[in-house]
Amino acid sequence: MGMNDSGICRDNSFTGRSRIRAGLRIVLFFAAVLLLLALSMLLGPSGIGIPDLQSPSGSAIVSLRFSRLLMGMMTGAALSASGVVFQALLRNPLAEPYVLGVSGGAGLGATLSILGGSGLFVTLGLPVVAFIAAVLTLMLVYGIASQGSSGHPSVYSLILSGVIVSSICSSVIMFLVSTASVEGMHNVIWWMLGSLQPVSSGQQLLSAALILGGLGGIWLLSPRLNALALGREMAHYQGLHADRVLVAGLLFATLLAATAVSLSGMIGFVGLIVPHVMRAFFGPDNRKLVPLAALGGGTFLVVCDALARTILAPIEIPVGVVTALAGGPFFLIILQRRMKQAWIA
Amino acid sequence: MEQAALTFREVSAGYKHRKVLDNVSFSVMEGEFVSLIGPNGCGKSTLLKTAAALLKPLSGVVELFGQDVHRIKPAVRASLLGVVPQKIESPMAFTVLQIVMNGRISSMGRWGALSSSDHDLVERSMIYTDVFGLRDRYFTELSGGEQQRVALAMVLAQDPKIIMLDESISHLDINHRQEVLQILMNLNREKQMTILLVSHDLSLSASISDRFLLMDSGRLIKAGIPAAVLMPDLLSSVYNCDLRVQQDPYTGNLQVSGAVDSLNRRKKLNRSVHVIAGGGSGIELYRRLLIEGYEVTTGVLNRLDSDAEAARALNIEVVLEQPFSPVGNEAIAEALKMIDKADNVILSQVPIGSGNLVNLQLASEALKRGKTVLLAKGIADRDYTEGKAALQLVNGLLTDGAIGWQSIQELMLQLQQHSHSGQ
Repeated sequence: MGMNDSGICRDNSFTGRSRIRAGLRIVLFFAAVLLLLALSMLLGPSGIGIPDLQSPSGSAIVSLRFSRLLMGMMTGAALSASGVVFQALLRNPLAEPYVLGVSGGAGLGATLSILGGSGLFVTLGLPVVAFIAAVLTLMLVYGIASQGSSGHPSVYSLILSGVIVSSICSSVIMFLVSTASVEGMHNVIWWMLGSLQPVSSGQQLLSAALILGGLGGIWLLSPRLNALALGREMAHYQGLHADRVLVAGLLFATLLAATAVSLSGMIGFVGLIVPHVMRAFFGPDNRKLVPLAALGGGTFLVVCDALARTILAPIEIPVGVVTALAGGPFFLIILQRRMKQAWIA
Repeated sequence: MEQAALTFREVSAGYKHRKVLDNVSFSVMEGEFVSLIGPNGCGKSTLLKTAAALLKPLSGVVELFGQDVHRIKPAVRASLLGVVPQKIESPMAFTVLQIVMNGRISSMGRWGALSSSDHDLVERSMIYTDVFGLRDRYFTELSGGEQQRVALAMVLAQDPKIIMLDESISHLDINHRQEVLQILMNLNREKQMTILLVSHDLSLSASISDRFLLMDSGRLIKAGIPAAVLMPDLLSSVYNCDLRVQQDPYTGNLQVSGAVDSLNRRKKLNRSVHVIAGGGSGIELYRRLLIEGYEVTTGVLNRLDSDAEAARALNIEVVLEQPFSPVGNEAIAEALKMIDKADNVILSQVPIGSGNLVNLQLASEALKRGKTVLLAKGIADRDYTEGKAALQLVNGLLTDGAIGWQSIQELMLQLQQHSHSGQ
């Protein structure tokens, strides 16, 4: 703009105090994450505390707890980050993998592959089949919602058709389960309830790779997601390929959600609420929000799982029950106090 | 002003099933301040979207500094052209600074990092639009005027050569509107920024614009200096109402003002009609007659009849009879008084039964007293009297000189004709 460089323009500390406060908050958050993760390593059906590492049973317990921690981190991070992206892209506080039918589609794909496949195909093919099914579902939802509009469906029609397709998917799952063999039924229901029982190491590795890829992709997109918060048109005016960002974001978020579903079943709540809580504390800037929400979602699920396996030991409560029962009231209080920062509508 | 900044060459554009822009050609020169005016729905917003490559033209070419806008990379396009929309909505709690930073989005690095020159641009834009002090406030909490200045700061941060504003200031109150316009004027005068402003405030635009583009129904119908475009006749036909253009004796500014009151004054007719109606057949008649400027009386109607309700609501003088009763002599006498005062008597498409047959006799009495009587045709379908008494009466009236009418439009024409021949 050809203005003189005045002193103030060289000074980039113009966010001053609020920036320090935000930094402090992040440090506290990391400390809390480490503390909670350590705590969850102490909890388990065999008792509270560190087992004797010298004994074979003790080291087995520790390694089991650690692999459940990894499962929880992966699943929680994937669900939460995908929720962040869906909410940012659709500019709607209700958007999440379940509402858009993505989880339902992934669940249907996973059910088919659990019932139909066997052996190696199930363990390695599960995330892939779930992803393909989720993408097909998303395309179906998008296609239905686009009917009658000139190419770009409204958020409301997207969510409405997402809810419809999602219920169709769960009906089909119910039907498949009711006609399956006893063993198949057992497998599917066990998986559907949601659990962080470690899967085979091959599937864990594949899922980890997919989730890391998805998170990385989203993080790369995150500055552009900020621009899309002002709508497709504004993002276009500011020099983005708005539609490309939209499609890439939807694909990455779907990949994350589908992998999480194939890994740990249908665990609700995390993808919807954790992004809101994180936004309430750290603001809506997706560059920060994506990694923080991933970390927060993962930690939250790990803690919930530790509680789920400890409270009624030796009975294990499905982790999805704990996420909503324990997390619900807790997050409600946070959101009520910081509603404004979470989402001004 | 050496070069054309934005050029439309025979551009037609629109949506799937609807062409909005029809063969539009014009140029905006570098450094010009141009206002785009025209009634709602004439295609101004579509023109902006087409200029910003959000819409692809169905035919023709849009050029930015001589290059086809659809061949320019988005990031480069954003450095040439910025668009301030009618209103930006941020659904989340973004701060003002975060919003303005979006203006540099296309020059951000892979990880969303901004260079220090980017930061400088963001800061300067905020200072220029006077929102620097608001930088840590939530965008959604700001007033409309502040939000619009933030939007302008965001677009300025793109460092564009042209800024287009889509009615961005129309909904602001007058001081905020002046404020934003002042900023635009400074940008234009001091930094030779090219500005295309879609505006509804013709007077305000006239005081700051180099040139006007006037659109109507998707066509560009006039381009030129404000005084050449703000012609009362031209504007009145485009905006479909009476408009006056005056020059302010002190500033020399052109003032465009509407003349709403002339509508009523022109239409006052000093002619009265008496309407015989019932059962809802009179409502549309009353409305049209009042709009055309007639004085209207009506009756005899039963209380609770929907026509009676309408007449009361429209402040029409009315003769009433008890509900569900035959019309009595008193009411008839009163109705005849009204008919005596009226120039014409109109019989609506009211169904006739034994209870209101007396209304037809009123019409025939009116004819005898020398009034012009206009009867709705098609009585045969609405005759519920024994022995088709109504049909016979109506046929008798028609042979005695009453005039038949089918549609209200036809009735209005006949009323006019009759008033000319009658006076």
